[in-house]
Amino acid sequence: MDCQCCQKKPAHIRVCDIDDNVMSEQFNICADCWIFVKRYLFDQERHLAPTREVLNEVRQLISSKESTALAVAEAPGGLAPTGKPAEVPVCPDCGMTLAEFKAKGRFGCPRDYEVFHTHLDPLLERIHDTTPPRHKGRVPAAGESDDSLVRQRQQVARLKDQLQAAVTQENYEQAARLRDQINALENAVDAGKAAPGGTA
Amino acid sequence: MSNESPDYFTHPLGEWLKGTGPDHDVVISTRVRLARNIKGFPFTGRADLKQRGDLLRIANEALHRVHLEKSVVTLDLQALSETERDILVERHLISRELAGAEGPRGVTFGRGEMLSIMVNEEDHLRLQWIKSGFDVDRAFSAIRRIDLALEKVLPFATSEQYGYLTACPTNVGTGMRISVMVHLPALTLLDHVEKVFKAAQRMNHAVRGLYGEGTRAFGDMYQLSNQATLGRSEEEIVSNVKAIVPQVLEYERRMRGELYTEKREFVEDKVLRSLALLRSARRLSVQEMMSHLSMVRLGVDLKIITDVTMNTVNRLFVTGQPSHLQREARATLGPTEREARRAELVRSQLATGTN
Ligand SMILES: [Zn+2]
Ligand SMILES: [Zn+2]
Repeated sequence: MDCQCCQKKPAHIRVCDIDDNVMSEQFNICADCWIFVKRYLFDQERHLAPTREVLNEVRQLISSKESTALAVAEAPGGLAPTGKPAEVPVCPDCGMTLAEFKAKGRFGCPRDYEVFHTHLDPLLERIHDTTPPRHKGRVPAAGESDDSLVRQRQQVARLKDQLQAAVTQENYEQAARLRDQINALENAVDAGKAAPGGTA
Repeated sequence: MSNESPDYFTHPLGEWLKGTGPDHDVVISTRVRLARNIKGFPFTGRADLKQRGDLLRIANEALHRVHLEKSVVTLDLQALSETERDILVERHLISRELAGAEGPRGVTFGRGEMLSIMVNEEDHLRLQWIKSGFDVDRAFSAIRRIDLALEKVLPFATSEQYGYLTACPTNVGTGMRISVMVHLPALTLLDHVEKVFKAAQRMNHAVRGLYGEGTRAFGDMYQLSNQATLGRSEEEIVSNVKAIVPQVLEYERRMRGELYTEKREFVEDKVLRSLALLRSARRLSVQEMMSHLSMVRLGVDLKIITDVTMNTVNRLFVTGQPSHLQREARATLGPTEREARRAELVRSQLATGTN
């Protein structure tokens, strides 16, 4: 049976409203919606509201937030009764949310490991059967890595953006200068040397 | 290496097909793979096309700055046809995911097809080394040499807590996966594969069919690999695999022996019928080819068959795959034409006096 809240996922949880010891209505709800519904049902101010109303509110909440909603519910501190997020972990580098990670099973960028680290440890313990989940192998030798290739590529990318802008503004002198710079950098990279003065 | 050269796509040079390494009666190959990502970029799945283009350039520049092997081939996967990409999959040089992905991506491999480096798979770099037979130590030290060379020119994303950071948390830590490709015809015949699956799982290793799904793998080929990449050092992962795989090998050998001593006629009948079928069929599906090749391979090991080599059988497992046939024919083949071509190839390779 489909969840009567989101009308998408299979329902595994049943909620019954009881009036004067008689069951008036019952609802089937999926596990994901239940995370929200229970916060309303057990909230001090709202616990007397009929389940039907609660489901309506939760449905609106979910459709308005869709992906971030789950992250809210899972966040430490949880969802405030008003529906305002208490704390939503979102990666500042790539915008990854916990809900998106859960849906895809893949992270967006290396920083996500730090951003979601509290949620991650139990998962890593399970996957790798190790407690606490900490790396034991080698790491790259400190200070040995040369990131000039990455920096040059990033600089080329930036210059290309500037070139695009210069062309759009019909600033052809500037564009020519930028093109020379890009060529010099590309040649330096191809020759396997560091670019002359190639810093960003 | 240009894309027009026919040799490259029709004649696999894979050292792992030789059928010679340690324990080659059961083990086809040992592969050690390392997942690496370059600092300052999102993982491939979240990188836009421009970033993927930059990543590919950076990776290729780095790969050419470092001395990987005497001679390497770099292919731009966007420039290849679907058939060519599938050939690389059939030859275990790239993953099916990378072949089917979109955007800038590439592969660099050594002439012996032992080293292969995928760029813009799920992780920016997937470094792998394949050796024929059960040879974890050599495969591991070879790929570590490549890793150490690359880390001097590429800043890899790592953290103190989690080690090498990967797109999927199942690879984090060492980023290392050892996969041993094993041929288990006796365990399959006697229905003991399920037991091996479960035992391996208890020891945190996974077994899966290499071709096809589930427990019934075409050709009785399976892949055994470590599950955990975090919380163990590389050396520990190596020694775990070295402790577990031999048990599977012994089990398979014991069952082969029992089969042959207790049901000699049954085994000989199965093996020789398969050989006869492969030597005379005019049409062969890939599934049929693999299941009979499996019996022939068993027959070669048990010396029931003496005029066919392991190398011939191993190679047919690759060259009889659809894309290899397609490329060899230099035309798009329909299913029946392909079956006819496959039968022809198998007949010519197994013909008496050719091995
Ligand atoms: Zn629901
Ligand atoms: Zn991120």
